[in-house]
Amino acid sequence: MKITVRRAYVFYAVIVAFLAGVAILIADIALNGQEWVSNSANRHLYSRSNAVVSAGPVVDIRGTILAETKGEKRVYNEDAELRMAILHVMGDTHGFISTGTQNLYSDSLSGYNFVDGIYTLKKRGVGPELVINIDGEACKVAYEALGEFNGAVAVYNYKTGQLLCSVSKPTYDLVNKPDDVNTNPKYNGAYLDKVVSGLYTPGSIMKIVTAACAIENIPDIYERTFDCNGEYVVTEGQRGVICNADHKTGLTFQDAMNKSCNAVFAQIAIELGASKLKATAEAMGFNTELYAKEVRIKMSRYNPPSNDNLELGWAGIGQSTTLVNPCHFLSIMGAIANGGEGYAPDRIFALGGIAADKRELQVMVSINPETAKKLDALLRSNIKDEYGDDRFPDLEMCGKTGTAQITGATSHSWFVGYSQRDDLPLAVVCVAENAGSGMKTAVNVSNTVMQYFLENPIE
Amino acid sequence: MFLITVFQLLCCACVILRQKDISAITIYTFLGYIAIEWVYMSLGTIITGHDYFELEAIGFFLSGIGLTVCASFNDAYAYKQLFAIILGLVTYLMVILLTKDVNIASKLRTPAAIGSVLILAANLVLAQSINGTLNWIDLGFFSIQPSELVKVTFIFVGAVSLEKLLSSTSLTKYLIFCIGCVGALFLMKDFGTALIFFFTFILIAFMRSGDIRTIFFVCTGALMCAVLVFYFKDHVAARFAAYRHVWEYMDTTGYQQSRALIYIASGGLFGLGLGEGHVRDIYAASTDMVFALIVEELGLIMGIAILLCFAGIAFFAIRASRTAGSTFYTIAAVSAAGMMLFQLSLNVFGITDLLPLTGVTLPFVSRGGSSMICSWGLLAYIRMASAPFVPPEADPRPLPIRRRPRTQRTARTTPRPVQPPMPSPPPIKRPMDRPDPVGRPQPPQNRTGRGGGAK
Repeated sequence: MKITVRRAYVFYAVIVAFLAGVAILIADIALNGQEWVSNSANRHLYSRSNAVVSAGPVVDIRGTILAETKGEKRVYNEDAELRMAILHVMGDTHGFISTGTQNLYSDSLSGYNFVDGIYTLKKRGVGPELVINIDGEACKVAYEALGEFNGAVAVYNYKTGQLLCSVSKPTYDLVNKPDDVNTNPKYNGAYLDKVVSGLYTPGSIMKIVTAACAIENIPDIYERTFDCNGEYVVTEGQRGVICNADHKTGLTFQDAMNKSCNAVFAQIAIELGASKLKATAEAMGFNTELYAKEVRIKMSRYNPPSNDNLELGWAGIGQSTTLVNPCHFLSIMGAIANGGEGYAPDRIFALGGIAADKRELQVMVSINPETAKKLDALLRSNIKDEYGDDRFPDLEMCGKTGTAQITGATSHSWFVGYSQRDDLPLAVVCVAENAGSGMKTAVNVSNTVMQYFLENPIE
Repeated sequence: MFLITVFQLLCCACVILRQKDISAITIYTFLGYIAIEWVYMSLGTIITGHDYFELEAIGFFLSGIGLTVCASFNDAYAYKQLFAIILGLVTYLMVILLTKDVNIASKLRTPAAIGSVLILAANLVLAQSINGTLNWIDLGFFSIQPSELVKVTFIFVGAVSLEKLLSSTSLTKYLIFCIGCVGALFLMKDFGTALIFFFTFILIAFMRSGDIRTIFFVCTGALMCAVLVFYFKDHVAARFAAYRHVWEYMDTTGYQQSRALIYIASGGLFGLGLGEGHVRDIYAASTDMVFALIVEELGLIMGIAILLCFAGIAFFAIRASRTAGSTFYTIAAVSAAGMMLFQLSLNVFGITDLLPLTGVTLPFVSRGGSSMICSWGLLAYIRMASAPFVPPEADPRPLPIRRRPRTQRTARTTPRPVQPPMPSPPPIKRPMDRPDPVGRPQPPQNRTGRGGGAK
């Protein structure tokens, strides 16, 4: 009898195991509940065709309703062009565009939290409102400015991290989705938000990174003069790095930057060597998995070869195997403009009525403040002394163009830059695919969007 | 005390929940249920002269939740469930009466064993296949699941056999009985219930461990396992393919589990409100899936409370086994609690993908008469092991004295939450003031440790 009773105590182990199971269950719910709730099988949130129905409205920074739920349907803004311009940042309801807000923040749109579940949504019929930093009208302006070209345009406030404009082309109308979006070559990449998921050869905008490396590693870089005769010959008898022009002799570092002299920058890159260049680039976020808040950024790649000086020279001017992501480069511009700290472009203003300052600033790119200051001067001089301020009236622009050469196609047209005006702390990135020189399309698109923000400041 | 605190909180919540339902028949059903509770509690107090009914309170609480869920579906479910609870209570009292005297109980062993095997055998012949398992007999008004009823006798037979385990024939008979039961269940393809029986078998065997027989038991157990796994290889493989991969099979074999997880998370801590959930649209919502339904609609806190209730019952069983009158009660109580806990785990962790899904019911809460009868029947064993009947004067051992403060606290707290209409509980009389009441077993000298080797 006594023994049997003592044996009964072993039964405590069974109870403990059971309680452990309960604890695991609770932990499981706490950790994964959000993911489970967002599952498209959840009939509280989705209709039978898996479209988001009960999610809250998405409102832009100026208060325009971009999408909302009416009855059982998700209704989008009436303006077809606006819908096309914001397609990628908004995302669809079926998850084709994985980085889209409606997909990425579907849990926020459902108002889920561990304590209440989705009770708020149940009670109100729709989820909480989601205010995004994006200015729909600005997207439309950028979309129109890109014209016939595909590519990406993004503008963000480098002091607050707010991503105000983000456009990716090709695009389509979510409401009248074309049947041939999967087959017609003109929709190639239509499901991709090129701002965050695109990768492009950078061309001359990469000289900013080479310049940063030179500033930090060659002490007398500003005292030196360089020669250019239209080509920098690396190995005698072989074709070298071709320059965009014959910039003659006696070029200073700043002249070379202004004129975007390939010969000089190839020479500097070879002098610096692959490892130093790579170190500088990686400090700026190259070859690193980056997230702009919740949005995953396609990794920019920079791998200058250490055993091939000609390739190294090309890598130094943004050719070779170098690939950059527009959003990442936007953050680099933010870092230069903001004295070293480049905030992550954040598209979310407020979730469910929570004040914007609840969104913490995230530093995505950091540059040594000294270097940033010198780069800032170089970039300002580019506009002032070379391109001309009349290309960016009243903007006090700093920036760099790029003409990325692509084998077998017209070059990509790049511009990256920012305004120095205190009332317009905006940085811009524009890449127009196969649009030729950066001085043409990209500069014009950037100016058009920046002028829009100058005329229509965000409150 | 832990148990009492939990009990109190739960009863309060329970009453509030009950008042949520406003519909004619529903109200009658609930009033009837509350009335039954109070009649039982009052009569129990008067007849036995003590007033601690923790176990019954937990049973009532859980059944009440089950009733609430049923009522939220429709009235037919509700009054059938009420009928099931009454049947459960009758079974409870019957089991208590039958096991009151160990000697009578041991005489009942053989008929119970033969009866159980016969029921299962009859089931195999008569039963109709529902959802792949052959364990239902349709009796018109009620479909019964004989395997549920056999759970009660299984423990009974096991406990009696092992209590007087002296002759090897007794053991052999018991083994044959076990193999018969588990085998029949496997033939019915009721894998979950077979597992429960097997677990209980191991538990009962363990309670007897310490000699060669145990090793024999374990060997037999392992052998049974091997045979069964071999026999059911394909079936088991198909069934467990979705285990821990429910999201990959979420529209086929992982359907129930993935939906359970989605809606459990949707419910949050406080639930979406009765009738507001989507679990109720899923197959077996009021039986196998009832835990998910409760969490979605009544909240995770309620779900956890239910789980803790069972943990409470299990703790109670261990405490009770200390003071049990004979080995029979100890074994019966612990194995009954074990069976309940194991079934609960299979159910709750099954639908939440922590264990493979086996499709068993949630004791007390799931809709269904057989399940309810089984749950109350099992509870009776635990009640029998507890020793509220021992008059402190007659037994000088320290145990009853230790129980005293608990008695007083119970007296103060128990009736309060469940009894809104009555201003004060019926007068409580101390056990020592009364003569031996009807429900009281023999004086302790007949029930002490010697019970184990009496025969």
